[in-house]
Amino acid sequence: MNTAESQVKAVNKPAAKTKTKRKWKRWAIHLFPIPALAIYGLFIVYPILAAFTYSLFDWDGLVRGAFIGLENFQALFSLEPYKELFWNAFQHNIVYFTGQLIAQNGLAFILAFIIYKKIKGAEFFKIAFFMPRLLSIIVVGFLWKLILNPNFGALNVILGKFGLESLQKAWLGDPDTALTAIILVNSWFGLGFAVLIFLAGMQSIPHELIEAATLDGAKGWKMMSKIIIPLMMPAITIITVLTFIQSFEAFELVYAMQGSQGEPYHSTDTLAIYFYRLAFGGSSGGGSSAIGLGSALAVVLFLFISVFTAILLYFMRKKEVEM
Amino acid sequence: MKQNIWTRPLYYVIAFVVASISLYPIFLMIMSSFKPSNEIFMNPLSLPKSFSLEPYRNLLEQVPFMTYFYNSVVVSVTAVLLILICGSLAAFYIARYTFWWNNALFFFFLMGMMIPIKLGIVPLFILMKDLGLTNSLWSLIFIYTATGIPLSILILTGFFRTMPIELEEAARIDGATDLRILWNVLLPLMRPALGTVMIINFIQAWNDFFFPLIFISNEMKKTIPVGMLSLFGEYSADWGALFAGLTLSSLPMMILFFIASKQFMEGLTAGAIK
Amino acid sequence: MGKITKGWMIGFLAFILILTGCSSDAGSEEGGDSSNEGSGDTVTLQVGSWRTEDTAKYEKLFEAFNEKHPDIKLEFKPSKNTEYNTILNTELKSGEGPDILQLRPYAAGAELADAGYLEPIDDLNGLDTFPESSLMAAQGSDGTQYGVPLNMSTTQMFYNKKIFDELGLEEPQTYEEFIEINETLKKEGYTPLAMGTKEGWLMSLMHGIVGPSQYGANEFVEKIENGETNFVSDEFKASIEAMDELKAYFPDNYEGLGMEDIRTLFFTEKAAMFPLGSWEIEVLKEMNPDLQLDFFMMPSADGKEPTITTWVDGSYAINANSEHKEEAKKFLEWMTTEEFGQMFTEEFSMVSAVPGVQSDNQLVSDLAKAAEQNSTPYLILVHFAKGNPSTKATLETELQGMYLGEQTTEGVAEAVQKSAESYYEPFQK
Repeated sequence: MNTAESQVKAVNKPAAKTKTKRKWKRWAIHLFPIPALAIYGLFIVYPILAAFTYSLFDWDGLVRGAFIGLENFQALFSLEPYKELFWNAFQHNIVYFTGQLIAQNGLAFILAFIIYKKIKGAEFFKIAFFMPRLLSIIVVGFLWKLILNPNFGALNVILGKFGLESLQKAWLGDPDTALTAIILVNSWFGLGFAVLIFLAGMQSIPHELIEAATLDGAKGWKMMSKIIIPLMMPAITIITVLTFIQSFEAFELVYAMQGSQGEPYHSTDTLAIYFYRLAFGGSSGGGSSAIGLGSALAVVLFLFISVFTAILLYFMRKKEVEM
Repeated sequence: MKQNIWTRPLYYVIAFVVASISLYPIFLMIMSSFKPSNEIFMNPLSLPKSFSLEPYRNLLEQVPFMTYFYNSVVVSVTAVLLILICGSLAAFYIARYTFWWNNALFFFFLMGMMIPIKLGIVPLFILMKDLGLTNSLWSLIFIYTATGIPLSILILTGFFRTMPIELEEAARIDGATDLRILWNVLLPLMRPALGTVMIINFIQAWNDFFFPLIFISNEMKKTIPVGMLSLFGEYSADWGALFAGLTLSSLPMMILFFIASKQFMEGLTAGAIK
Repeated sequence: MGKITKGWMIGFLAFILILTGCSSDAGSEEGGDSSNEGSGDTVTLQVGSWRTEDTAKYEKLFEAFNEKHPDIKLEFKPSKNTEYNTILNTELKSGEGPDILQLRPYAAGAELADAGYLEPIDDLNGLDTFPESSLMAAQGSDGTQYGVPLNMSTTQMFYNKKIFDELGLEEPQTYEEFIEINETLKKEGYTPLAMGTKEGWLMSLMHGIVGPSQYGANEFVEKIENGETNFVSDEFKASIEAMDELKAYFPDNYEGLGMEDIRTLFFTEKAAMFPLGSWEIEVLKEMNPDLQLDFFMMPSADGKEPTITTWVDGSYAINANSEHKEEAKKFLEWMTTEEFGQMFTEEFSMVSAVPGVQSDNQLVSDLAKAAEQNSTPYLILVHFAKGNPSTKATLETELQGMYLGEQTTEGVAEAVQKSAESYYEPFQK
């Protein structure tokens, strides 16, 4: 309590009324995170922790077998085909993240800036960019499968009209293009959200600061790099961290478009898809479930994401403070 | 500020091209909803030969759409409200105070996003059963609230941090409680962020089909997406009715988004922060 | 501004309170109804299935059942097929789940049985109607019976009769003739085989048709069962090579085509043959009622009898945790009767697992006849849908790799063998 009190930063001591009342007020602030903690703890943390323990058991099929310590983790990294599948999927996740950073976040930043510049119809564009986010992933998957269909899909038809037949491809069936196609569809889906966050970040920059900087002669790139980007670091942090997490958790879109095997020939397999296959056995005939192995994979995935998120947050926070 | 004369037109070109790509598939969805199933496959890209309302009629005959709709509204709206309340309280605490455990707390919440929640589905199902919540909309409300909290805290904490501290100092001198500061001073300024959180969680709750598949078996408690799934067969689907359903189920969100972007996201005018 | 937001919020809140108020009322009414007792002695059983498209058909079956047993009400509760296993397993692990449940065949069903989630029904009246080959689809690994087989699925080459007639083609009697037909069709500008390799299961299904013609059907299956041969044998490798050679007759861009695409090619009469399962009869009829559909059995490459590939696609079993096992057994008993089989075939246009049932659908009837005379099991599903990844999934993935030029035919055979060795006892000798 004492340490807590002394650590309250930047809060002026309120005009003391009675000591007990002030104490109550100080206490009251600790109630703030309680509702979130309660719901989150009960419905997320508890089931996940329970499931983490599965990773320590020999658990093929439906019935839990013996306690085997860390053998599942060992199998994941040393046995065929688990080892190969893991690194294969892991690489795809890295590509996913990089691709999303460029295709989704890079473009979103430019678009947010364009809207921020108050072009005519800004309201329309904002809504248009966000529209895809309103769709369910099942629809997104189905629509894009239609568009990317090699024989009558819009993309190949358009390429044909411009005389670019040589570029026509079975986009989702060719291992060289399938992953890229999925990443671009995911960017299409998430673009509007990133625009909104960037825009909210830009718009919360106090106008006085911009005006002052303008008076000081800042413009163009200088304005961008010295004023706008530093001041919207929180928004950039949010988007980067989110993109990182979502890329390494990438599941639904791949599942909807390329199935539980990350087709073709595991070229779109991701760690989360691989996890799903292990833990639930994929769709019919895909195999029996290996919950022990699946849980081990989930634990590894979790550790990896949390360590890297922590590092990412640490450095980006530092940037935020430096501004 | 002097600008290149090409800058503005370039802005418009980029915005226009991206907007077209964004909207085209949605246009395709709406168009497909007026086609019978086999026409979707034979002429997937063309305009419907004749605008047929039959897919809609089929849909409404096959499934109790209004019941699904009602359930979806109840679940999404309640979950979003709980998320906004829980999320802003917790984010305020994390962003505005510097207790030594705050970073840990923040990270603890973030962890919720780093794990495939599907992993915990069996313990979760047993929990819901023990709480008597299976086949109740509350099971969905709670799970959506719980899964929505991490993202909301991430976003809201970031935005609380951008609020100048001077804003609340004046209020504190007047003896305002934290709750009052949060409600009267900060939240009104955070409308863009709140709007984003609201929309994003609403979409999540509205479109999710995994949890209702597991928790809900009573036909009268199903939400739209899981109801729509009954139109997907093992080897075939009534795509016409499906698109009609998806179009119908996307409409309320589009409307909500229009309202929200007017209400919440118009951006702060220069006078708002003083 | 602040005021507007607040007003909004309060309105929002009031709205929710009203809504949730209403919904919880509705909930309590509903809750009582969906649990087991209705009124008096009537019992309501829930029937779980992955066949969402069959709801209306099942209702008809249930009505017929109620004429005999008015006190047993049945409720059909299907869930999406791709998530069915996940949902069912979750429920069963938690001691819940429907009273009667549709069982995935072979290994997947045995897994549930071995875990003790199902009620043994060895003593069920009428089980002896089924041949052992059907019954084994719904047994535990110790041979105990847990399910009553519902339907036989077959996989075979469908063809468009109109195109065949137009080009003067006949059903092939030898494998060479089959290849000639493909050549002719190709020359005449048709896509010979409506086939795509984007979805793995299409390839194992096609291998189910083409494979037996190369490896020598039942003889080879017997040898596999006895551990006398394996998947790196010349016979099996020949079946993979045949799969590879047939790609010359696939449509353009076949690597990007899925089930919906190849079906469309076939019912729009751009493609002449369609290697798929018996369930397509119903779907194709709906998509193009004028399609002149027929099928042929795959002729053998080494002079044996042509074969049609069959397996039991689903069975019905009783949840060990059900409170109404006796009533559920009555339904399962009815499923073994010819009356049920007849009705099932007519309503579903599928081959009933009850032997000797006639269908008024000529094609279904022919299939059933062929299945009784010249059937060979769908080997990879019947014995090898085990492991993680399963041998079936391995075959699918590796064939996909082969079509993409990233795997050799040898490599496919080796991967399949390696996967099967880890659990298949005859291979471990």
